[in-house]
Amino acid sequence: MNDYILLVPVLLPILFAFPVYLVGRRSKKERDSFAGVVGISEFAVCVFLLMMVLSGMELELAVPGIIARGIYLKLDGFRAIYALIAALMWMSTTIFSREYLAHYRNRNRYYFFTLLTCGATVGVLLSNDFFTTFIFFEIMSFTSYVMVVQDEKPGAMKAGETYIAVAVIGGMVMLMGLFLLENRLGTLNFDELHTAVETLSDPSALYLPGALILFGFGAKAGMYPLHIWLPKAHPVAPAPASALLSGILTKAGIFGILVLSARVFLHDSIWGGVILTLGVITMVFGAVLAVFSIDLKRTLACSSMSQIGFILVGVGMQGLLGQHNALAVWGTALHMVNHSAIKLVLFMCAGVVYMNLHKLDLNSVRGWGRNKPVLNFCFLMGVLGIIGMPLWNGYVSKTLLHESIVEYIELAAQTGASTGIYHAVEWFFLISGGLTAAYMTKIYVAVFVEKPVKPFEEHGKRYMNWQSTLSITLPALALPIMGMLPTPIMGGMAQLMRGFMNGGSPEAAIAWFSLTNLKGAAISLTIGAAVYLLIIRTVLMRKDESGTKVYVNLWPSRLDLETLLYRPIVEKLLPFLGALICRVLDNLTDWFVAVLDHTLLHRKPIPPRNDDDYAPGEYTPHVRRSYTLQRISGSVSFSLLLFGLGFCAAMGYLIVILLTK
Amino acid sequence: MKTLMCIAVLLPILSGALIPLLKFKKRIYREIYVETAVLLTSAMVLTLLLNRPDGSVRLFRLTGDLGITFRMDGLAGVFSGLVAFLWPLSSLYAFEYIKHEGGDDRFFTFYTMTYGVTLGIAQSANLITLYLFYELLTLVTLPLVMHSGDKRSIRAGMKYLGYSIGGAACAFLGIMVLYAYGDNSLAFTYGGFVSPDTPRHTLVLAAYLLTFFGFGVKAAVFPFHSWLPSAGVAPTPVTALLHAVAVVKAGAFAVMRVTFYCFGTALLYGTWAQYAAMAFAAFTIVFGSAMALREQHLKRRLAYSTVSNLSYILFGVTLMTPAGLTGALSHMLFHGVMKITLFFCAGAIMYKTHREFVPELTGLGRYMPMTFTAFTAASAALVGVPPLPGFLSKWNLATAALAEGGLIPILGVAALLISAILTAAYLFTPVINAFFPPACQGEHGLEQACDPNWYMKLPLIVLLAAMLLFGIGSKGLLELLARISAGAL
Repeated sequence: MNDYILLVPVLLPILFAFPVYLVGRRSKKERDSFAGVVGISEFAVCVFLLMMVLSGMELELAVPGIIARGIYLKLDGFRAIYALIAALMWMSTTIFSREYLAHYRNRNRYYFFTLLTCGATVGVLLSNDFFTTFIFFEIMSFTSYVMVVQDEKPGAMKAGETYIAVAVIGGMVMLMGLFLLENRLGTLNFDELHTAVETLSDPSALYLPGALILFGFGAKAGMYPLHIWLPKAHPVAPAPASALLSGILTKAGIFGILVLSARVFLHDSIWGGVILTLGVITMVFGAVLAVFSIDLKRTLACSSMSQIGFILVGVGMQGLLGQHNALAVWGTALHMVNHSAIKLVLFMCAGVVYMNLHKLDLNSVRGWGRNKPVLNFCFLMGVLGIIGMPLWNGYVSKTLLHESIVEYIELAAQTGASTGIYHAVEWFFLISGGLTAAYMTKIYVAVFVEKPVKPFEEHGKRYMNWQSTLSITLPALALPIMGMLPTPIMGGMAQLMRGFMNGGSPEAAIAWFSLTNLKGAAISLTIGAAVYLLIIRTVLMRKDESGTKVYVNLWPSRLDLETLLYRPIVEKLLPFLGALICRVLDNLTDWFVAVLDHTLLHRKPIPPRNDDDYAPGEYTPHVRRSYTLQRISGSVSFSLLLFGLGFCAAMGYLIVILLTK
Repeated sequence: MKTLMCIAVLLPILSGALIPLLKFKKRIYREIYVETAVLLTSAMVLTLLLNRPDGSVRLFRLTGDLGITFRMDGLAGVFSGLVAFLWPLSSLYAFEYIKHEGGDDRFFTFYTMTYGVTLGIAQSANLITLYLFYELLTLVTLPLVMHSGDKRSIRAGMKYLGYSIGGAACAFLGIMVLYAYGDNSLAFTYGGFVSPDTPRHTLVLAAYLLTFFGFGVKAAVFPFHSWLPSAGVAPTPVTALLHAVAVVKAGAFAVMRVTFYCFGTALLYGTWAQYAAMAFAAFTIVFGSAMALREQHLKRRLAYSTVSNLSYILFGVTLMTPAGLTGALSHMLFHGVMKITLFFCAGAIMYKTHREFVPELTGLGRYMPMTFTAFTAASAALVGVPPLPGFLSKWNLATAALAEGGLIPILGVAALLISAILTAAYLFTPVINAFFPPACQGEHGLEQACDPNWYMKLPLIVLLAAMLLFGIGSKGLLELLARISAGAL
């Protein structure tokens, strides 16, 4: 009975969204506090759940009676940690929103939909059945749309359009995959999937459903080539929402991909290879976009895409390494956690900048962060975390991922397979790490080191209040702590999380700071320094009229998969073809009737239609016939002709019948 | 209890016919009269559903074994339950709406009579009764389509008449074949009354197709769909109740009866006739949605959406398995609730602002929050956003189709999902525009716009609640439908 506690973290935010909305109509201040309290209680519930898991319990909940097929939730180590991270992110951003959103309109709407999204996301992360996952996933997609378009500015609306289009199409493609998967396996329950797959005679029949489901989850995760919404939607949303979109909603997509990889395609090297390829492209491409970007939040968004690529590389390596995938499993799990935590800090810092300046362009916010030690410290922690600096948390997970690639190369060399391509993967990995260092240095230097072009106006009051400070500083402090105590914290987390991915434990204790591991980080950071000094400071900065060096965006705006390929197809080609076909077919019967009317019945031409007739395809479309045609069709010989034709047809039919008898 | 079936059919017909004679002095008297009659009928249907009488009751005999006979089996229960739930709500809505159309007496006469005729279709025990009420339905609803009396509505009415009568004529040919091959009473029996051992003669299969398309005209199957968007000129309560639920579902219902209760799936399963019907249904699914996307007039857009959704039902029926029929029945119920909500919203917008085209809705969301919330929820439900009901019926239909395997069923599933994407495109655009208008547009001339009064709001709220209930707590209902589809009820 106490399994019903699993419903609490899902339903608590969803149910409290309504009173929060109602309170908000009366008093804004009370609403803000109320939402904060809801966030904190959600966090408390998740902490409690994690304690239960730590004490060795594994909860499972089936509510078979609702939504036709029932809701199945389960709590294991991975889900407990991820639910906790989700709750932490919602708590921090809700508290931060209080100040950040102070001058926004429609805040009630924002809180309402944020809470709904929170419940749905936790629902996805706790789900134990693809049907349940899909339900919460779709709710999450639609409610988060409102978070993206909160600003209602044209840019936000455009990004929202892309976001919802990708969400709808992704959702439906995924649904098709789920239909096929259930049809082939007979179950969608995570615990039964693997057994069902093993009893299948022809597992290759699962690749199609797998690909379709991957499409849906990959679209949400921001995987190439479905990433198009991510670099657009994350920057335009309010900063707290960007943190959530980047930090946790993308992970809901990864969650689905992990289930596929670990339950349906466990140790499947073809699947692993596909995910690895997509992961490498996402990783490199995101990093390159981020290097070019000159917008603070866009850089962070592209960085998110790149980091998702890192995670996908880990997922891919899991499949390739088969039984020996412990390192890849650890790396994937920890990089997910790290990325969530780091992006929470970074986006909220960017939010502080925007909250004060209402600008995000690197040239406009240049130097604003000087003399703001708290903000500087928080941002620096995030930067050092994400670039994989030893002693910070990102280093741990990146090292594990790197090690897993190296391990695969060694394994492949033992069996005599060619390793060239995996050496390339390793280098792509290191280079992406280097690019991460380069673009993070770029924004850090721009905001916190360089001198402002002209001094900023001071408002007199502090740039952020104590609640915001607290909600940023605490997560920021966690980053180095996690990195400095890798074995107890990170290792412990990985041990809890690995079961979800059917991963093992590494054979030997990991020497986190061994020379080989440090070497990888050193190579990345060197590449990063080189890129920063040689490309960013020289090629990507120009002197303007007054002689100061400014950041320029050299990425050709036309070079965008969405404008180049997707929009023309969806907005031009398909509608054109569809409209053409529909137009013809819509009037098919009416035209048929009209033709019969005019040939067989000798109707008089129908007078032209009224101008107020807007409808295409009204009854008996007007057939304008020439005078000659009227004469012909009205004549006796024409009637005779038709009669003759009919007679011939009838006779012919009779002859055929007689001959075949 | 059995006579109650006859009363339920006759009461609305008679009380409707009396309206012009009673000459109500005040609007409110007529409202009370109509609502009482409708509620009474609904109460009778409810009683019938709760204590379902076995066996049939004959109103009168025509010739031989043929007679006008009523029977309340499972399938009849589903359809009569649906209309009995929706009719009182839409009457309430119509009281307010018709104020700006005029011609109240005539309107309510036929509106109430249609209720009885629809119940007649639902409860008919044999094909000839069904056919009689089917033709009656065309005639009774014709004045409603032509209500405004302008050129356009008369033309739409003529078109409706032509299509429906033509379709019924085709169906009649099929009935003749059934009479020749099956038993002489034409009484519905689950599994069909044509012996499955009958050689699969082309004539029988062609007769099935004729009946399918004949009754399919009312269910707006391609290529006989175009009367439905044209009939959208009728007052909104008519489009909402008749052209989204009663009339069109009567067509789908008749197809169910013919497929499962006359020809029988054992005879039809796996024949070219089945595949032809299924292919047309699957095509209409995508076609209707594509046309809806092209259409800028809100009510016509919804009408095309109905075209598409009715074919979901037909697609489920043509799968010719109990699972398919379950999907079809669930979509019949859920689509009824969702689409009537959408039409009510469209009507409320027309009533309050006189705006009919989709681009004109820009920015209205702020001024008519209740209406647009309902519109949004119903749109999401129709797209198939879980846990709203549209998702469940789609899931049922798709799993039923995939259980069949084969090319056309799988293409049908693809059609369902493509249609869902198109549905999102044609319904979310107005929603998004209404709530998030592009800057400095749509702000003028809206100050007077507000939510309608309780006559219109109450139905919306009830329907919203029903949608949520159907979505979350419909396991029992779906099991019931599954039992009905298996012929157990």
